[in-house]
Amino acid sequence: MASRNKLNILITTIGSIPKHQLLAVAESVRDQFGIHTQTQETLQDIEFALDTERDQYNSTCILETLQDFVQDPAHKIVALVQEDLFIPILTHVYGEAQLGGKACIVSSHRLKEDLKTVSIQQELTLRLIKEVYHELGHTFGLLHCKDSSCIMHYCRSIRDVDRKSENFCRYCGILLEDEIKKL
Amino acid sequence: MLKTKILIVDDELIMRESLGGWLERDGHEIEKAASGEEALKKMQQTRFDVLLVDIKMEGMSGLELLKKVKEYDPDIEVVMITAFGSISSSIEAMKNGAFDYLLKPFDPNELGVLIEKIIENKAQIMENLYLREQHKEVTRFENMIGQSSAIRNIFSLIQDVAPMESTILLTGETGTGKGLAAKAVHTHSNRCQGPFMGINCGAIPEHLMESELFGYQKGAFTDAKENKKGRLELANGGTLFLDEIGEISMRMQIDLLRVLEDRIFYRVGGTQPIESDFRVIAATNRNIEDAIKRGSFREDLFYRLNVISIEIPTLKERKEDIPLLAEQFLFRFTQETNKSIKKIHRDALDEMMIYEWPGNVRELENAIERAVVVCKGEVILPENLPIFKHETSPAPRSGSLKEMEKTHIQTALADNEWNITKCAQILQIDRSTLYNKIKAYNIKRNN
Repeated sequence: MASRNKLNILITTIGSIPKHQLLAVAESVRDQFGIHTQTQETLQDIEFALDTERDQYNSTCILETLQDFVQDPAHKIVALVQEDLFIPILTHVYGEAQLGGKACIVSSHRLKEDLKTVSIQQELTLRLIKEVYHELGHTFGLLHCKDSSCIMHYCRSIRDVDRKSENFCRYCGILLEDEIKKL
Repeated sequence: MLKTKILIVDDELIMRESLGGWLERDGHEIEKAASGEEALKKMQQTRFDVLLVDIKMEGMSGLELLKKVKEYDPDIEVVMITAFGSISSSIEAMKNGAFDYLLKPFDPNELGVLIEKIIENKAQIMENLYLREQHKEVTRFENMIGQSSAIRNIFSLIQDVAPMESTILLTGETGTGKGLAAKAVHTHSNRCQGPFMGINCGAIPEHLMESELFGYQKGAFTDAKENKKGRLELANGGTLFLDEIGEISMRMQIDLLRVLEDRIFYRVGGTQPIESDFRVIAATNRNIEDAIKRGSFREDLFYRLNVISIEIPTLKERKEDIPLLAEQFLFRFTQETNKSIKKIHRDALDEMMIYEWPGNVRELENAIERAVVVCKGEVILPENLPIFKHETSPAPRSGSLKEMEKTHIQTALADNEWNITKCAQILQIDRSTLYNKIKAYNIKRNN
């Protein structure tokens, strides 16, 4: 897919996400969405979102801060973190996105579970890329998809993440195209 | 399909927001209430499928709200949300009809599975209701059968229009199989997994029609002892077949038009708007355009229904299908009656081909059913088809020429009260010949 000029997806890491993962995500997002990607430094840490009782980080709080880094309505931002994320009602989340909004976040914390293959780093990067696609899909207004192979399928376990493909199903693909055209 | 409507009731803003956001991403329609009181107000305006209720709230507690919800509409599923340590309240909630309870914070997997279970459960209830309704309306028709070009054109048209969502108006004489055509459209449509909900508008008295279509709320009238879903609600996700649409009253036409325009309606005595997603197929044996001219049918409703029009041919127009249909009916009725009738006699089939069949396929079906009952042998004979005896000359179609002559003279005498002169004129023989024949055939005047 050819990159569209005015659209831009900023990819940022907060904390110690390896650089090769950041680059792999940026490149994959560019190819998958056909939108120019740019890596950018934003927050130094996410300690402001720490819930000391749960020892987890409130992803909704992080998104509220993160969205201020994006002024242009045609831009989106994705943050990659290593900390364990939660939303108040749930025990944990792999990531969170503002539905139809500007910001999303993905954590590698729980994506490290049950890494089986020899090339652990590759497997983890693939999981990270899948979750970034998924959360970015939400920022374009896409909802969870019933098709278990679609990237917008909601994953209840790491097995589900491994099982789903890296692609949008035809239906979600069309909806995504429509949303991108609107920007 | 419609989204599941979920109402989140929690006095903590952050809980409402995070749960709402999560469920919204899952494709559900979410509303939020900060108290039990607010929840009850919202329920007056919207019909929810599921309520997620925090047990501990300021003002009305979750348990109190649960009881009120279940009194108001037992079909709404309520899931209680509770903090660790209040398990006993959760057990009490289950006793009072809660679907389940969740300990917060809960695992996303747990919540997802629970919502899915509720949706599946509701679908199952709807399906059971639908099957019960279906059972009541067992039709005596076979599936649409035929090889004539007239009926093949209809098959092809049905296949073309079935996948569309457009409303269809089926026209045709009584007994042509409009109901079967409607079912065929449903079967070939994308809604085939959903219910096919039919209602014969001509068979239901006007005062019952409203509650039959829209359902009613407990207490709406004296006999309304419990809530009842109407056909519009039961048709959700499927097809609504309005048979004999030409028979509905002007008042019902107005109500129906409103429903067809926005797919929202109220149960009789209900205050919550109900949404239902169905495709409409209507059928009539009347000339609706004439009814519009006479002022007995609304023009706007006609145009709303008549998006695609299919006219089902009469049996007279597809006579070549008669042997096939007769054979199919014979097979079915011999199975049902356990009789060993093998076939229909050629002469009987010839008679069927000559007959006009004003009652169309349904009349043919009834004729074969009766023939199977009265037939003593292995072959259906013309005399087993009593319908022809009424319609044609009373003289027997089989037997010798003499027997036929005798019967014919008997009939002429009976019809003319034994007026020999008049009978002789009708039979075009002279009076003495008539006397001789009466004597020869030993015909006696029957008092």
